Amino acid sequence: MNAIVEGLDALLDPTAALCLLAGLLVGTLVGALPGITGTMAVALASGFTLTLDPVSGLAVLLAIYVGANFGDRIPSILVNTPGTPASIATTFDGYPLAKQGKAGLALVISTLATTGGILVSMVVFVLAAQPIARFALEFGPAEMFSLVVFGLTVMVSVSSRSLLKGLLAGVAGLAIATIGRDPITGDKRFVFGIDDLNSGLPFIAVIIGLFGVAELFDQLLTYRPGNAKPISSLGRWWPKRTEYKQLARPFAVSSAIGTVVGALPAAGGDIAGLVGWDRAKRMSRKPEKFGEGSLEGLTAADTASGATLGGSLTTTMALGIPGDSVMAVMLGSMVIWGLQPGPSLFADSPDLIVTIAAIMIIATLLSLVVGLVRMRGMVRLLDLPPHYLWTGVLLFCTIGTYATTNSTYTVWVMLASGVVGLIMKRTGFPAGPVVLGLLLGPLAEANLRRALIIDGPSILVTQPVSAALLALAAIGLVTPLLARARKTRRTRSANAMDEPGRVRS
Amino acid sequence: MGTTAHPQAVAQDPPESSAARPSRSLEICCAATALAATGALVLLAKGIEVRRETDGIDPRWWPELLGMIGLALAAAYLVVAVVRPPFPRTDLEAATRRGWPLLVATVSLTAAFVALWPLVGFAVAAPVFLSAMTYLVGGRGWRTLLIYPAVVTALVYLPFHTLLKVPL
Repeated sequence: MNAIVEGLDALLDPTAALCLLAGLLVGTLVGALPGITGTMAVALASGFTLTLDPVSGLAVLLAIYVGANFGDRIPSILVNTPGTPASIATTFDGYPLAKQGKAGLALVISTLATTGGILVSMVVFVLAAQPIARFALEFGPAEMFSLVVFGLTVMVSVSSRSLLKGLLAGVAGLAIATIGRDPITGDKRFVFGIDDLNSGLPFIAVIIGLFGVAELFDQLLTYRPGNAKPISSLGRWWPKRTEYKQLARPFAVSSAIGTVVGALPAAGGDIAGLVGWDRAKRMSRKPEKFGEGSLEGLTAADTASGATLGGSLTTTMALGIPGDSVMAVMLGSMVIWGLQPGPSLFADSPDLIVTIAAIMIIATLLSLVVGLVRMRGMVRLLDLPPHYLWTGVLLFCTIGTYATTNSTYTVWVMLASGVVGLIMKRTGFPAGPVVLGLLLGPLAEANLRRALIIDGPSILVTQPVSAALLALAAIGLVTPLLARARKTRRTRSANAMDEPGRVRS
Repeated sequence: MGTTAHPQAVAQDPPESSAARPSRSLEICCAATALAATGALVLLAKGIEVRRETDGIDPRWWPELLGMIGLALAAAYLVVAVVRPPFPRTDLEAATRRGWPLLVATVSLTAAFVALWPLVGFAVAAPVFLSAMTYLVGGRGWRTLLIYPAVVTALVYLPFHTLLKVPL
């Protein structure tokens, strides 16, 4: 009971409340601007929040996370351009609805669905996170190492088309994490006489470079002035009672889908939105309307995408494995504040968990109000010329990175990471596993070495939880390979059916 | 601050987007780089100096293990890159004609800004950098090139330097 009171009390601090509002505003704005993702915004903001106390800093970052999940729906519906990847599926029915003169209705339904999705998933966080964390508290070195391996393999399998590239990216992240002092003996590794490298590469700078600067560089590289104009006629805003009833089923199914997908390490709103939309289409009485402006399709996509937030938060806070890329960045900030997300956080700072849940719920409800009251003003944002956006983002990335150490060395690391991130993006290497490897590398190494020294290699497979996690990791890696092989076989047989002459010859 | 993008910049590339094309030579180049990098990791790991030799699971062991795993993965990637069709790149936009020079100029300008910053101070380096960057990416007009950089610099400088005590 004390933890609940203390957790809520922390938010009564005016600084924390102001930070929450500022984060919400920033999140909604960046979500509404295509090209700036939630991950990029949180990465950027993390540089500025390190000087704040953890509650205020978390208020900024979590509010950006929530706000971006509302703001990104606006360009998806009005210009057919997802504000962030999490709203890709919103475009399927949102834009057709806008073209039919129902943009206002689409925006309101999208806001309600996103709110509902996040709140349902937050109930799951409140109920499930602590039992999961209590269970994980019993983990020894073998289980902790296997957990990191599991998290990494899931991220690899969902974030890359090529398993080999994803794995190489993960190995690269783990290798970069070895720069600096050895976690057990303190010996120097790969520092080459440079004092700054003694404490390893500054991971906030690497994260801002890989996610923020690389994305910006890619936009510069591929920019084509478009002629898409936002839909100006918004039509009616509020759904009818019959429409609400029609949306209940896709909402319920997509809430569950989104929460489960969000709980999987690295799987985020983009995947959940697509899965939720597809599932709702299969269950609908009018599947032919999906993609043509279906309110059910829009509800399903946005509910599932929104519901990933609570699921993702559960995995991150209970196990210390990031549920999505935003959480990976947040994990970095929390480590700098001296907080280690994972089972021990629930034992050491139960009030902080309450604060986190409260921030998420308040930010969601405020976003709902902002969304319903002043959606029209947001539309103007879409006219912002890119030269203001790009130069502003680049300067803020630079300042945000600099503010972490007050040294231009970190800015150089950020710039180099940006160039490396661009090369990775253009060559199909995912950045997610690199960041995860960098963040969890010391944890994996220290626990594996401890497990091997104390109990020998057999402990990894004789401990049931460790063995199960390693088996799941193996399944996670093999499943995409099998699915791809099956797809290739199907394509071949379909081609053979189309061209029977070739089969006979 | 309402000026529009430079008209020449708008006219150079077609508005419609196109996906990047798959490339076998790019894949082979990536695989070779990965092979070289992981090989270097193994060699560097072997060269780590430890204060107390244990001949077992010491500070060299983990990076060496990662290097070996990476080497095996890179070798497999090289084989895949040579014998199989290159990976599709449909999720990537193709670079535009002016994209590469723009990118090189942006990286160079940012590097120059970071190098100049400790020498002349943020308050001088930032507006010059912003003005040059804005011009580079298509911004024109005195308000865009003079007022915008000055306002943004002030908006950054005042809260960070004055309130948060970040020594810019």
